[in-house]
Amino acid sequence: MKQPRKHPMKSPVQSPVQRSMNCLQLATVLLGCAVLTACTTTYVPPVEPAPPVMAEPTPEPAPQPAPVVVNPAPQLPPPVATPTPEPVAPAATPTSTLLASVQSAVAAGDLDRGAALSERALRISPRDANLWYQLALIRYRQQRFGEAGDTARRALSMAGSDAVLQRQINTLLQQIGSGAP
Amino acid sequence: MPGMASPNSSPGRSAPHAPSPRSPSWDVPRFVWHLLLWSTLAFAGWCVWIDFEVRRDFEALQWALPARIYSRPVELYAGAHISQQHLVDYLQRLGYRRSAQVAGPGEYQQGEERVRLRTRGFQFWDGVEPPVYAELDFDGRHVHSLQGEGASELALLRLEPVEIEQVNPTTGEDRLPVALNEVPPELVNAVIAIEDQRFYTHHGIDPIGIARAMWANIRAGGIVQGGSTLTQQLIKNLYLDREQTLRRKAEEALMAIALELHFSKEEILTAYMNEIFLGQDGNRAIHGFALAAQHYFGRPLNELKVDELALLAGIGRGASYYNPLRYPERAVERRNVVLTRMHERGDITDDTFARGQKAELQVREKTGSRSGYPAFMELVYDNLSRDYDSDALRTEGLRIFTTLDLTMQNSVEAKLDGAVKAVERANAKSPLETAVVITDANTGEVRALAGGRQRGYSGFNRALHAVRPIGSLVKPAVYLAALESPDYSLATVLSDREIGIPQPKGETWRPQNYDREVNGDVYLFDALERSLNLATVDLGLKVGVPTVVEALQRLGYNGDALPYPSLLLGAVDMTPVEVAQIYQTLASSGFRSPLRAVEAVTTATGEPLAYYGIETTQVADPAAVFLLEHAMQGVFERGTARGALNTLGDRMPLAGKTGTTNDLRDSWFAGYGNDLVGVVWLGHDDNTDTGLTGATGALRVWATLMKELDITPRQITQPAEIQWEQVPARPVADAGRRDCNEAMSLPFHDARLPSVDYTCEVNESFFDRVLDRFRSLGQ
Repeated sequence: MKQPRKHPMKSPVQSPVQRSMNCLQLATVLLGCAVLTACTTTYVPPVEPAPPVMAEPTPEPAPQPAPVVVNPAPQLPPPVATPTPEPVAPAATPTSTLLASVQSAVAAGDLDRGAALSERALRISPRDANLWYQLALIRYRQQRFGEAGDTARRALSMAGSDAVLQRQINTLLQQIGSGAP
Repeated sequence: MPGMASPNSSPGRSAPHAPSPRSPSWDVPRFVWHLLLWSTLAFAGWCVWIDFEVRRDFEALQWALPARIYSRPVELYAGAHISQQHLVDYLQRLGYRRSAQVAGPGEYQQGEERVRLRTRGFQFWDGVEPPVYAELDFDGRHVHSLQGEGASELALLRLEPVEIEQVNPTTGEDRLPVALNEVPPELVNAVIAIEDQRFYTHHGIDPIGIARAMWANIRAGGIVQGGSTLTQQLIKNLYLDREQTLRRKAEEALMAIALELHFSKEEILTAYMNEIFLGQDGNRAIHGFALAAQHYFGRPLNELKVDELALLAGIGRGASYYNPLRYPERAVERRNVVLTRMHERGDITDDTFARGQKAELQVREKTGSRSGYPAFMELVYDNLSRDYDSDALRTEGLRIFTTLDLTMQNSVEAKLDGAVKAVERANAKSPLETAVVITDANTGEVRALAGGRQRGYSGFNRALHAVRPIGSLVKPAVYLAALESPDYSLATVLSDREIGIPQPKGETWRPQNYDREVNGDVYLFDALERSLNLATVDLGLKVGVPTVVEALQRLGYNGDALPYPSLLLGAVDMTPVEVAQIYQTLASSGFRSPLRAVEAVTTATGEPLAYYGIETTQVADPAAVFLLEHAMQGVFERGTARGALNTLGDRMPLAGKTGTTNDLRDSWFAGYGNDLVGVVWLGHDDNTDTGLTGATGALRVWATLMKELDITPRQITQPAEIQWEQVPARPVADAGRRDCNEAMSLPFHDARLPSVDYTCEVNESFFDRVLDRFRSLGQ
């Protein structure tokens, strides 16, 4: 799909403010005020929408030493012995297909392969914060704590306004911080 | 007594076996007996030795297999960034054949904005990609949709990678070993029909064949036929001594018999199929039918038709003479002889025979780069040398998966020479040379590399080895160092005025702007966008040169530049690859990933050996990098890279920096979009001046390449600490004199907002402010 072109950095030089306005404009402005009083007082350029979270992650139970890898979305069948499960969910995307394979690999204990498949997904969608997070989880399970932390921070930098994902990443970062040798 | 012969008998006694008067003093029969005995023993000894040798060598038959080096495989999915033409080019590199039905693997069909194909499947380091049928619809330079068999859903498809090079063993031989059950039966029949019709019944040598050959040779008056069996030919091929003396031939015959005694027909046939010399490709010798199929037809053995298999079988008799790439008529004639023999033996039907004889020869096209990708390969070997010695690379049959994007590399090679020529001065004494490095903006993978302006250039690899001062390319490090400190923002006013800096040896350094002008008070962001030297020196000296060096190192610089003030204007030497590393970190918003050319290594059978994953380390404050990015984008919008807007204006925002060195000896440009980072260097090898600045030289080449590569605009997330404020368009040191009739928006770190004296909020009325908001939100 073509991405809509965005101009987050465009800084317009404004022309002088029109000082004369008629009543209609005044009324429009007053209406606008009502809308705008709810907005922040600073100009915020349009930001990139939060990257779509492909599969809803479960919240982190505190006492567990290792984080649980993301559960599949409801429509997907549970991972079976086949190496690449067929995408059953409607409109499977390349990322969701690969994530399903990542889960299978991790469930089978093949963490290296899980990481390789996560990276394959990242090459397709490099701005997907959830994918970086999934890779960080795998590195954590592999006890590669330095890389897990780095990757988690990368995920955080892309999480935008996805508060749920940010919380999960921060939880992981805390665990790494406390548990790393 | 009669009957007893004795050498000492008296001449008077007559004996029936008295020796003749001329014979010497010994006994012929005994001599003959001894001679026979010892020669038989010697012969027997020789046979035993041959038998031992053959058994030992044949059992230990392990071919040294070259390492195979693959490009990055193409991934197909809805939205994938590849055009129909590029996909077709890639399929042709893989040796796919056009066919209307697309019935078998390795076939494709091309329609209007549509491609149908059937893949072969491949074993990657992270799993097996099964063979699959797919239909793709295109929309300009992207895949619009992807479907599987019977319009079923297909989310993702990974094509086979292209083998771009081999690391040949010291023998110079290359082969693709196959088991007998992987060889098409028609090929086996063809080989037996043309070389050794009684293969299955003889025991190593074929007396009937020899007799027939002798008869034919006598009739012809010269050697026209050989009577050697497949077994004998195998021996001849295995033992490199090609001297065909009588003794050698006898040895080979004995060895053939010995071989047949100890090994089965299947084993011998398999060895023959893999060993027979079938051609020369540059410095590698093509052995075995599987590799010959790739070499001559560009397709795997199991995809060849009967007439093509017959042709291969016929080549064994004389690989140079019957080379179908150079002597197609001879090859076709020979093929038809093979087909005739096969037909005579009933191996093929009349119909197949007729069609085969009339079939047109369709050898592999000379697609892609016959000269390979030597500049990129040097980087690959450099990456590999850390973990593998050259011996392992030459003998173990390792599979090496690289990051090279063939489509991008070919696009760069196609446009580069012309782009350099377009900016080259007419009267230059030596040719203008170049280096180009293209990497993935998010992962640090090297996608394309050029060591010179000629396609396939294999000389001095300028991308890896041309060490040049980087000039203004250093400035982002200066400004990043400043923006990371609480004392500076994009709206900090700098002094772009003449300055004299005393040097250790007593002289004074007086830097100048490129145009020799001074600009007085300038905003920090403006100084970077327009690459103002004086303002940069002003800023750099306040920040401190050691701080700037430290920032440069965090960005990925590994050299040992000394912290002199001249470093602020780029008196530091780097190669294009080192520059690419630094700009990689900027493109990833302050996350450094080491540049990589190798993805993974597996064994010959596909087991993963090494995997070089994505590494990422946060090395700079994200808010500071965001602020820097604003100015780096401004380089295109308002600054020194404005000239590229007519080529790339529809892909903004992009970010980058021009670089020019003293006397215009080096012209640099380093820039990035959302997907790619590109570094271009222009210069003369003899270090004479080019007459080009970064903007008039390297930028133009960069823009041409990036348009061809279809670079995508920057899309970055704004960190939470960022807040936009209005400032007067023209900076003034004195707050009272600022002019808010023209104002502009700049991002700031919310912990370091400019004081209200310097912004354009306070004097406006409530309505004005509201109207401003309303207006700016709508833009």
